[in-house]
Amino acid sequence: MPLQPWMKLLSTDDHLIEPPRLWTDRLPAKYREAGPRSVEQPRGEGRSPAEVWVYEDRIYPYIGLNAVAGKSPEEFGLEPTRYDEMIPGCYDPKARLRDMDLDGVWGALCFPSFPGFSGHVFLDGKDRELALLCVQAWNDFVLDEWCATAPGRLIPLVIMPMWDVDLCVAEIHRTAAKGAKAISFPENPAPRGLPSFHTDYWDPMFSAAEETDMPLCLHFGTSGKPPKTAEEAPFAVTITLFGTNAMYATADLLFSPVLHKHPKLKIGLSEGGIGWIPYLLERADGTWERHRFYQNVNQSVKPSELFHKHFHGCFIDDRFGVEVRHHVGIDKITWECDYPHSDSYWPKSRAYAAEVLADVPDDEVHKIVELNTRRLYNLPA
Amino acid sequence: MSGRPESERSDWTDLDLLTREEAHGRLLTEIADTDVRLAELGADDEAERELLQRRLSALHEAAEDLIGPTGPTDQPKN
Repeated sequence: MPLQPWMKLLSTDDHLIEPPRLWTDRLPAKYREAGPRSVEQPRGEGRSPAEVWVYEDRIYPYIGLNAVAGKSPEEFGLEPTRYDEMIPGCYDPKARLRDMDLDGVWGALCFPSFPGFSGHVFLDGKDRELALLCVQAWNDFVLDEWCATAPGRLIPLVIMPMWDVDLCVAEIHRTAAKGAKAISFPENPAPRGLPSFHTDYWDPMFSAAEETDMPLCLHFGTSGKPPKTAEEAPFAVTITLFGTNAMYATADLLFSPVLHKHPKLKIGLSEGGIGWIPYLLERADGTWERHRFYQNVNQSVKPSELFHKHFHGCFIDDRFGVEVRHHVGIDKITWECDYPHSDSYWPKSRAYAAEVLADVPDDEVHKIVELNTRRLYNLPA
Repeated sequence: MSGRPESERSDWTDLDLLTREEAHGRLLTEIADTDVRLAELGADDEAERELLQRRLSALHEAAEDLIGPTGPTDQPKN
């Protein structure tokens, strides 16, 4: 079996659910009412009230994402939920570690839930001072509580106060000094009403990421633009096309000035699979060969060269991607678990990874499940 | 910034969380699978047997805990 017992599985895409007092425990007294609070909301007769987040005067109906007690795969839906309906490993780091042990997983990088995977909920904050404190509170929770439970196993990822690039720079340096290893950022900031990758707005932040050697993690969905073909189209269309968001983000960055101006910037694509990468790079190189002369794109470096220098992808069950791994770049592939989402294979993630990687040589498996992630996030063995 | 309130947007809507009930069911399935693997072991598979027995015990413990008291504490931190 190529996945050897001594290889440590490190997941580059897991999630945590914020415990109910994350902000009320950390915000100054004057902000505790306006900051995010967990409150109960009636769900109708005979049902326990839902627990929802209230932030300023807005209600955010999902404390997790869409947990539905007793659901079958046909019943996945959008109902609100309660903490007592989800497994404790969602919000309790000690329970998380036990679930990781059951799953044969050593390490995990966890994205936010209520703030959005890149923390963009705080863009809606009317009070910017409060919004900044909320971002810092989430980051402090991750650094001081969540990841401090098991340093080296729970990998600290931080979010940014994206409405102000100077604040982003300061937050990168503040959190890097506390041990942060990665920055969650939108796969495309433009649909969020933020400056795009084709402006120079983010340059100071990208420079700070280079200086601290923290990769930007672009989780799919963080642009707020799901692939949708028609209002009437079943959600299956969107799910099938999820990986295209990673393709958009990659093409956007490869033809932007970002990677030319920031040669040490590292990009982690979180979710979206890897099988599409060889096709996209072939297409991008072909476009560059034929069409670069009359466009405002770099004239000397091929998109595929940039990709191999800056990007990492990840997968759970992309068997085709594993088959074409040498076209993707064996050093560019990481593994993800996606706990605690129900599309994860918990508690059989390790067994499933072993199955998917059964035909891959041991040394390549070791790179994919552990070594590439250690290099990308600066995690000593 | 976007004019649309964040409360009307979400990241992705297919990403349901594992509920206690679903997780409990998965653990029971894994317990049954592990029992079968244990039964298939021969007399000279002592190391494998020990590993599987340890896993089985952890799976049982986790499954029992999932049908116990629930939810995070709502008490303020000191």
